[in-house]
Amino acid sequence: MQKMYKRSFDQIQLIVADTDRFFAEEKIDESLRMKVDLSVEELFVNMVSYNTETVKDILIEMRRLNGGIEVSLTDYDVERFDPTAASEVDVDAPLAERTPGGLGLYLVLKMADSIHYEYHDRKSKITFTNSLQQSD
Amino acid sequence: MFEIGFNDSGEVAVSGRLDAAQAARAQEFLDAAGNQCVLDLTGLEYISSAGLGVLLRTHKRLMTVDSSLELVNVNKHIADIFRYSGFDKLFVIKAA
Repeated sequence: MQKMYKRSFDQIQLIVADTDRFFAEEKIDESLRMKVDLSVEELFVNMVSYNTETVKDILIEMRRLNGGIEVSLTDYDVERFDPTAASEVDVDAPLAERTPGGLGLYLVLKMADSIHYEYHDRKSKITFTNSLQQSD
Repeated sequence: MFEIGFNDSGEVAVSGRLDAAQAARAQEFLDAAGNQCVLDLTGLEYISSAGLGVLLRTHKRLMTVDSSLELVNVNKHIADIFRYSGFDKLFVIKAA
């Protein structure tokens, strides 16, 4: 699956529907679904929220792996931002010190079995995998 | 499809997918729900960090009036997200 999405949170519903279809067509195990949905949403929302200098659409690609899935999100005309180097969130911090921000990328790093970042020509591409062997 | 409203017990019932596209609507409802502190998550299928932010903000608001948010009927998938994010240490959570 390879598709461009407009830079809007309203696209999440469409992305979920397309992911539904891809999982069904490729017979990917549904136990991976929550992790894939979460990582796709968090990365997509991050791109929409922090790259406000462009109107270019975001590319999402999904590919079946043996026992799993590989997903890539590509943003265009963007500054370098490596989510794999995102600062750690202290999930043991007391309530008073917890803020709503920062959790998204932290969860992606927790959920993905592998994650890879590429940046060139102002193009940012994040690829992650989830597989049954690695899934708990 | 995301739904939020009061159930027959007067608790706030949340169902469907609480994602970034629905977070503002959920926050608006919970802000208007006053000091109601029980969230029935029986029908909640999915939550992202945007949804977690809604719960955290509501919990913090309730703490200022000596109350707290209680999350009931939490399924395993949602409980996993709470555990990964450390929310299991911040909230009273009751499994489904």
